Amino acid sequence: MQPVNKMRTEFISKSVNEGFARVVAASFVAQADPPIDILADIRTAVSEAVTNAIIHGYDEKEGIIIMECLLYTDHVEITIEDFGKGIDDIEKARTPLYTSKPELERSGMGFTVMETFMDSLTVESVPGKGTKVHMTKQLEYR
Amino acid sequence: MDVRFKRDGMTLIVSIEGEIDHHTSRLLKEKMDSKFIMEPVKNMIIDLSGVTFMDSAGIGLIKGRMDRVSSVGGKISIRNPKPEIIKMLKMSNIYNLIS
Ligand SMILES: Nc1ncnc2c1ncn2[C@@H]1O[C@H](COP(=O)(O)OP(=O)(O)OP(=O)(O)O)[C@@H](O)[C@H]1O
Ligand SMILES: [Mg+2]
Repeated sequence: MQPVNKMRTEFISKSVNEGFARVVAASFVAQADPPIDILADIRTAVSEAVTNAIIHGYDEKEGIIIMECLLYTDHVEITIEDFGKGIDDIEKARTPLYTSKPELERSGMGFTVMETFMDSLTVESVPGKGTKVHMTKQLEYR
Repeated sequence: MDVRFKRDGMTLIVSIEGEIDHHTSRLLKEKMDSKFIMEPVKNMIIDLSGVTFMDSAGIGLIKGRMDRVSSVGGKISIRNPKPEIIKMLKMSNIYNLIS
């Protein structure tokens, strides 16, 4: 199946871009006219993935983040990629409440939120090379 | 993001407006902690009625303030979250702080 529309946005890992990425993803998906709670879920999941790239991937130093959205008639696929430090143990990282930065008052719920708010979540990571988070969401109630 | 404070006896009422994410939570945390230390209060009410977006950074923020308030023997509660914020609060035990 071919996507009906595609976009790719590249930005640097500044925390102010968390809001930017949410707005960009939501307005791209809005053209499919999904229910507002589905749009809200997408906004939240994008925020989690981009924040992780900034605080974990790049340890708050400057790096590049790429967000790609493929829009299909009934669903959207969103990929958020960084070229930062990567994840050694993905299964452990995805465990609810696990955080490598408790001192920053992180709750360890980011991946759990992405999993709960989206329909699927795939995480690919190579230590020292970076992390790619892939998520899908149906745009209508089933 | 904007934050306003009011005092009601021993309780600090914190009204947050706008979006809570990793970017805004840093300043929010600083402002809440310094007000909590400066004012003669021990309890905290966080009014979320003006919050239009919150991700897991908000859970971390509220949990952190909960620990701070409990450490001086005070009580913390959350007021008026919008439905989309409730969904996020439900991801954690801070959901039980809603009054
Ligand atoms: N892009 C990334 N690069 C490197 N490590 C990551 C990345 N994303 C997540 N991690 C690792 O996975 C852990 C879990 O991530 P998750 O988002 O679930 O929790 P958190 O970011 O620590 O806390 P929260 O999201 O609740 O504020 C992180 O603590 C970090 O160690
Ligand atoms: Mg996270």
